Amino acid sequence: MKSFEYTITDPVGIHARPAGVLVKEIKKYASTVTVIKGEKSVNALKLMALMGMGIKQGDTVKVTIEGADEEAAAAEIEAFFKANL
Amino acid sequence: MALDYRKCAEEISANIGGGSNVISAAHCATRLRLVIADNGKVNKAALENVDGVKGMFESNGQLQLIIGTGTVNKVYDEFLAVTGVSAASKDDVKAAAVSKMPWWKKILKTPGDIFVPILPAIVASGLMMGIVEAIPKFAPAFGQSDWFSFLDLVANTAFALLPVLVAISSARVFKGNIFLGAVIGLMMVHPALINAWTVSNYAAGEIPTWHLFFFNVQQVGYQGHVIPVILAVLLMSKLENWLHKHVPEMIDLFVTPLTTVLVTAFVTFTIIGPVFSVFENWVLDGAKWLITVGYGIGAAIMGAIYPWTVVMGLHHMYNVIEAGMISSTGVNTWMPIASAANFAQFGACLAVAVKVHNQKTRSVAFPSSLSASLGITEPAIFGINFRFMKPFICGMIGGAVGAWFAAVIPHGTNAAGETVAFGATTYGVTGIPGIPAVNNTVMYIIELLIAAGVAFALTMVIWKEEQPAAAPVPADVAEAAKEHVPLEIPTTSVIRCAAGTVLQPVKGNVIAREAIPDDTFASGVLGDGVGIEPTDETVVAPFDGVISSVAESQHAVGIEANGMELLIHVGVDTVNMQGEGFTCLVNEGDEVKAGQPLIRFDREKIKAAGYSDTVAVLLTNSDDLEGVECGAAG
Repeated sequence: MKSFEYTITDPVGIHARPAGVLVKEIKKYASTVTVIKGEKSVNALKLMALMGMGIKQGDTVKVTIEGADEEAAAAEIEAFFKANL
Repeated sequence: MALDYRKCAEEISANIGGGSNVISAAHCATRLRLVIADNGKVNKAALENVDGVKGMFESNGQLQLIIGTGTVNKVYDEFLAVTGVSAASKDDVKAAAVSKMPWWKKILKTPGDIFVPILPAIVASGLMMGIVEAIPKFAPAFGQSDWFSFLDLVANTAFALLPVLVAISSARVFKGNIFLGAVIGLMMVHPALINAWTVSNYAAGEIPTWHLFFFNVQQVGYQGHVIPVILAVLLMSKLENWLHKHVPEMIDLFVTPLTTVLVTAFVTFTIIGPVFSVFENWVLDGAKWLITVGYGIGAAIMGAIYPWTVVMGLHHMYNVIEAGMISSTGVNTWMPIASAANFAQFGACLAVAVKVHNQKTRSVAFPSSLSASLGITEPAIFGINFRFMKPFICGMIGGAVGAWFAAVIPHGTNAAGETVAFGATTYGVTGIPGIPAVNNTVMYIIELLIAAGVAFALTMVIWKEEQPAAAPVPADVAEAAKEHVPLEIPTTSVIRCAAGTVLQPVKGNVIAREAIPDDTFASGVLGDGVGIEPTDETVVAPFDGVISSVAESQHAVGIEANGMELLIHVGVDTVNMQGEGFTCLVNEGDEVKAGQPLIRFDREKIKAAGYSDTVAVLLTNSDDLEGVECGAAG
């Protein structure tokens, strides 16, 4: 399992649109991606659940990636977070 | 920003005329529910502006203030402290709301309360009786078979002994002992009494009579009656409860039931019954006179008031009129009037079945209307039309028009080929089974179509589905207690798939997803769906489901049901408005019903902020769903 932490810089946080883009990105990989904030954790493929976490600018989230392609996926997803969120 | 509960409660109190103006107070998951003594003292505008009150509305005699999960209970506690009102359960609030209803509304509500629990029995029986009794009209041999005899017994049990069911249900409504209620009901149809359906076979002097004190009581049962049974059980329940309070506990167990049953029985047979039978005779004489009024006017009036006599259980007496007509002229001109009235109730009930969204109501309305078309109208009247009242009135109008038409039909032809008045040659049948019984089949069918058609059309136009609380089908009661919002359920859908249908959540012009003025939504990244250019400012739930997410800035909401995950996003880039102009009325985890308001938004503010107010309605997991089809459809 791979993981990284990231602090959200997008001013609206992980709201509908960013969440949608994120889900789309994660769908490319076979690995299961989990977004954890505080005590809450959600499967990052679940758009509603992701939005329901209410992640805002400045919040630090932990992202875990587990599966066959986790090596490649972890690097790309981290890059994606930095570029888009 | 934490809400100052005390301040919120004080301001609410100040704007409703203080604690002395509160009859009772309760709260549910999100709302403070108040029953107010004098609504004139309520300052609604000020209430809406109280910090912490997200919205307010009045429903069923309750003033409901939307405060929110987790806060409403705290505001409620402070409210009790501020006003000195004692805590009430939701039942108390509902009871207080009922007690605030005008007396005539309470009276009209009672038969509904009594009949709703026994609907399954009368719907089943009514439908079966209609079918079983209709077959021999077309296939006479069947009427002689053992099967007919057996099926007829099964079918008419609930009707033949209806007073028992009514008595038990009434005892529950009036808070009496249901077993004592059953005894009263059973007594009124005791086999030792002459059956009310066959009493017309007896000459006046032949009916056995009891002489009790100075009362002469005819030993006739109350088969087919409703009102005397309800009155008897009402008396019984009041008496029983009074005795429970006043009889010493030691002897209560035998004194109270004994006295209750004895006194109720005596009063029922000596006063309630005879008074009612005098009333019945008036109705009968009135009906006989009415249909002689010329130009079909009398018939039209009779067609209109006929269903009321069904409500009161008087209609079984009409056999007397019909039998009299056949013996004197050979033509039963009463039957077409009764048929019009009954068939109109069928039309009205069918319209409800077609129009209603509540599945449970529909599941009652369809079989009930079928039963009514066969001449057994009780399920349709008590189960549907009378409960909602407007369909009942539409049925009265349909009955009047149909009966008028029947009265002005010039003639029929009798068995000998002679021209006689239009009518039937037998009695006791109406509706479709009446077809072989009439002397002018074509006109009869036209009459039925007119009666049902008028009632159907009027009901479709006039009747609108009310809030569930007004129509509590048994299993619905819990739901109804939870939500008193007058739901206006959308009639068009915007997305359909194998898992379900998404109704249009906000009024306006439905546009293709690709036309939403936002690349992300339009591209389908967030799932397939539609855009709506709103003409209204309320988003309602597009299906029964659970709120899965609420945006911090209140402009978007997620709702899930049956594997569908739907996002309703009001406006484009409106997240930047930080909630200004948006009020979300639900919380994450709330169960919502289709049509329930979810978000209120201010179109002016969205425009002023420079954003599009297009509402995106997207199935975010449309990739995982089968047969997804987007676009407006009726």
